Amino acid sequence: MIELCAITKSFAVGLPYQLTAVRDVSHVIEQGQFVVIKGPSGSGKTTLLTLIGCMARPTSGRIMLRGLPHPGLPGSADSAEVEITSLPERFLTAIRRATFGFIFQHFNLVRGITVLENVMLPAYPTGEPYELFRSRALQLLELFSISRHAATPVDRLSGGETQRVAIARALINNPKVIIADEPTAHLDSGLSSEFMEILSTFQAQGKTVLIASHDPLVYESSIPDMVVQMRDGAITGITRQQ
Amino acid sequence: MRKSTIFLLVTALNLVLLLLLAVHARMGEQAAVASCTVSAGLVKEFQLTDLCLFTEARYTRHPSMADFHAPFQDHPGALDHFPSGSLVSPPCFSREGL
Amino acid sequence: MSAQLARHRNIIDFALSSLLRRKTKNISLLAVYTLIVVAIASAMLFINALKREAAAMLKDAPDMVVQKLVAGRHDLMPVSRGEVIGGITGVRGATPRLWGYYYDAVTRANYTVTVPGGGQPAAGSIYIGSAIARLTGFSHGDLMPLRTYKGESQLLQVVRVLPAEAELVSADLIVVSEKDFRELFSFPSGFATDLAVSVGNPRELATIATKIVSLFPDTRPIIKSEILRTYDAIFDWRGGMIVVMFSVAVLAFIIFAWDKASGLSAEERREIGILKSIGWETSDVLLLKFWEGAIISLTAFLCGAAMAYCHVFFFSASLFEHALKGWAVLYPQFRLAPAINAYQLTILFFLTVVPYTAATIIPSWRSATVDPDSSMR
Repeated sequence: MIELCAITKSFAVGLPYQLTAVRDVSHVIEQGQFVVIKGPSGSGKTTLLTLIGCMARPTSGRIMLRGLPHPGLPGSADSAEVEITSLPERFLTAIRRATFGFIFQHFNLVRGITVLENVMLPAYPTGEPYELFRSRALQLLELFSISRHAATPVDRLSGGETQRVAIARALINNPKVIIADEPTAHLDSGLSSEFMEILSTFQAQGKTVLIASHDPLVYESSIPDMVVQMRDGAITGITRQQ
Repeated sequence: MRKSTIFLLVTALNLVLLLLLAVHARMGEQAAVASCTVSAGLVKEFQLTDLCLFTEARYTRHPSMADFHAPFQDHPGALDHFPSGSLVSPPCFSREGL
Repeated sequence: MSAQLARHRNIIDFALSSLLRRKTKNISLLAVYTLIVVAIASAMLFINALKREAAAMLKDAPDMVVQKLVAGRHDLMPVSRGEVIGGITGVRGATPRLWGYYYDAVTRANYTVTVPGGGQPAAGSIYIGSAIARLTGFSHGDLMPLRTYKGESQLLQVVRVLPAEAELVSADLIVVSEKDFRELFSFPSGFATDLAVSVGNPRELATIATKIVSLFPDTRPIIKSEILRTYDAIFDWRGGMIVVMFSVAVLAFIIFAWDKASGLSAEERREIGILKSIGWETSDVLLLKFWEGAIISLTAFLCGAAMAYCHVFFFSASLFEHALKGWAVLYPQFRLAPAINAYQLTILFFLTVVPYTAATIIPSWRSATVDPDSSMR
């Protein structure tokens, strides 16, 4: 589970164009929950996701992880509580690699190389044996029905296929938490519903899912357990669905 | 095959090749001594003083016998018009008055 | 340990994929880089081998050669002076040397004609160097026509072709008897080209040389160490063509490194942002950049060095032929003894690999340290 305590994130602190993207946010996300963060652009959704996903550090406040793998930290079991805000970059990155799978709004795939290599990329620096993560990548491609594109350069795929490559890449290191930032922005309704279905199957496997979106198709869907409303960097409302 | 495998194989092959060439150089030393002996023998027999590297001009054919005046065939201002002159530097002198 | 190796291999994989995206550019870069290494390494190996051979072959050259000068030009040496010099203490003997140049109008080549001190060929017969045999087609038993200074034709029979292994000292030699030499050049009797002096103690050479100059102020003694030192300085890096060649090569290296070091394009920076966002650390990105640079420069060096060796020692440095031959017609076949100078090769390695690899890593440093979320802002 992920606990946020009074998280604030400001950019360009002290300069005239200082911007506070996230303002004093406190929340708890339980293991296996499907949470949608809803709000207009500029409400701080993306920034909050980067803070939760160990991609950035908050300006103030603390984030705690419990029950999630934190490799490389000496003498702590999986169930122990870990505060990630004060960790050095190396440990933070190790946790991020093992725990979180990110699906970016603009997919963030590397142009010019093949689909398979794109999916395997996050596993390259881990030192894991090549054959292991390669077979996992092929399985993921199979799961998303894009195996036939394994050797195709990623630039040549359609929008929906690229989306699935991005999802596959997020899953290569078997993360416990999947984070998606505006995932349906480039998809039509059919592909958007399909996307929500795919993620709900992952929730069924015990993974936690976090989506930031201002697409009604996402936050009005019956799949999420909780919808968190944000505006101007603060949480303005929480809706729980049964 | 993985690309890195190909690269590492090519590099390893290159290194092995270089090692073999180094061994070749080592082994060639014996043959070199032999052919050097033939040349040294001729040097002694004919009292030669120079290697036959450039047969264009006197001062590049026998650089050790040449002097500073040698390139000035026609007049002191004449340019050095033999290409090998740019490869051979003037011999060094240890005594005055030359 | 194996995790580290696996990490390196994976990153090499991606570095290769990355380089192969711009296949044409990178392959031509590699080709040009290799060619430059071949050129420099060939020059280094060639010069090094040649100097070694020179030192070995000329160790039995005359101890001292005494020339006579007139108005700054070589003049004929009176043979009588040889007797005087032979009488100096410490001098074992002073033998007159007869040698000169013959220009063959048919082949337009210059030959060196010489008369050995002892063991001369019989009158009417000559030994010729192997390059002459190659050029003219003359061999054992053939009659070679030479034109004397009186305008007459002189036919001399080839009785010996000097060995090809000794081409470096004898390629253009015609060895004749004294009688034939004087007839060919109308060389006045009682004179020689210069004197070859042999001394008992090599350490006395300088003293004896000074004595000779004081006896005959118009002479110029050349001692053996000076002869050998001439060949130490041959192809000196200060000499015309060598300076040009090495400068061009250094300039090329600088251009390559500059192209890399002048900063990353927006595309490259975006890509580093992506890598960081998917979990690559700063050190992983730098390792990637290191391998991108090292793959090209290391391959260029290894291939280039191997090709240079083969070029110099298996193909007699044939690429240099045009430059070395100049206007000459006769050109010796350089069958040099293989020799590798490890020190020079190491310097070349550092010159080839280090600047290029550094120029690939250093500009990426700044971009590699961006926050992982930079690609999302």
